[in-house]
Amino acid sequence: MPELPELNPVIHGKLRLALLSLLSGVEEAEFTWLRLKTGSTDGNLGAQLLKLEEAGYVSVNKKFVQRKPQSLYRITEAGRQAFIEYVQALKQMLGGVIG
Amino acid sequence: MTANNEELELKDRLSLIETMIAEGRRTTESYGWTFVLWGVAYYIAILWAALAHDYIAWPVTMTAAAVLTVVIIARKRRKRPATTTTRAIGSIWCAMGISLFVLLMSFGFSERADQHTSIAIVAAMLATANATSSLILKWKLQFACALVWWALTVYACFGGGKMLTIAFLAAIFFCQIVFGVYGMIREARQRRKAASHA
Repeated sequence: MPELPELNPVIHGKLRLALLSLLSGVEEAEFTWLRLKTGSTDGNLGAQLLKLEEAGYVSVNKKFVQRKPQSLYRITEAGRQAFIEYVQALKQMLGGVIG
Repeated sequence: MTANNEELELKDRLSLIETMIAEGRRTTESYGWTFVLWGVAYYIAILWAALAHDYIAWPVTMTAAAVLTVVIIARKRRKRPATTTTRAIGSIWCAMGISLFVLLMSFGFSERADQHTSIAIVAAMLATANATSSLILKWKLQFACALVWWALTVYACFGGGKMLTIAFLAAIFFCQIVFGVYGMIREARQRRKAASHA
């Protein structure tokens, strides 16, 4: 029987997975948009994004637009690769169930 | 954790991925209003030029429409992230818009182009942009709009008189205003659907 792959623990967290999924479909996204889409609190969202940033999976560009701070997040190449590998591993683990 | 629970959790993760990717893509499509805006701008310019015989009708209306489009898009973009598809579609319309703007401004000031040439060129440009967008989005209705503009291009070269003006006005009505309103309704439906899934 082939050995099942392990799921990347950095991505496996529900909110972090949701964030990477969202970021994989767009070029870059604002913090407020990510908060709206995930329904998360500022604190939790910031903490999870920081974990993804520390892992090198997302990059952040902080700037001021009309004197208001704006944080733009974007998935990195390493993040995209890790995300693809995570999805492949997930599908492999589910095996025949997904078809 | 039992094997069944583990399997359910993994399925839940996969479903979360699919939902979030779809959510990111769904919320970025909102361009129906631009068709309506430019359709109305064409009507204003045509009416103004016909009634007042004023050479600034087209340049002024096109400038106003272009400024309004840029301002609204800039405001919307701040709220919504871009995807590769929206960037591709946006690039086509941006390039087409600039070309059309430069062309109509030049036509307006030089007063050299006759009605046939102007309509043929404008219709061909609109057909190209609509066809390219429809092929990217796989949207048959937009391709139908491109066919209408191509038909008008041919008609502008061979037909003429009042019928050409009527055909141009009809094409603007159906391919800009009606199509734009339909696009806006479709986008509103998608937003409602997305909100109910959130």
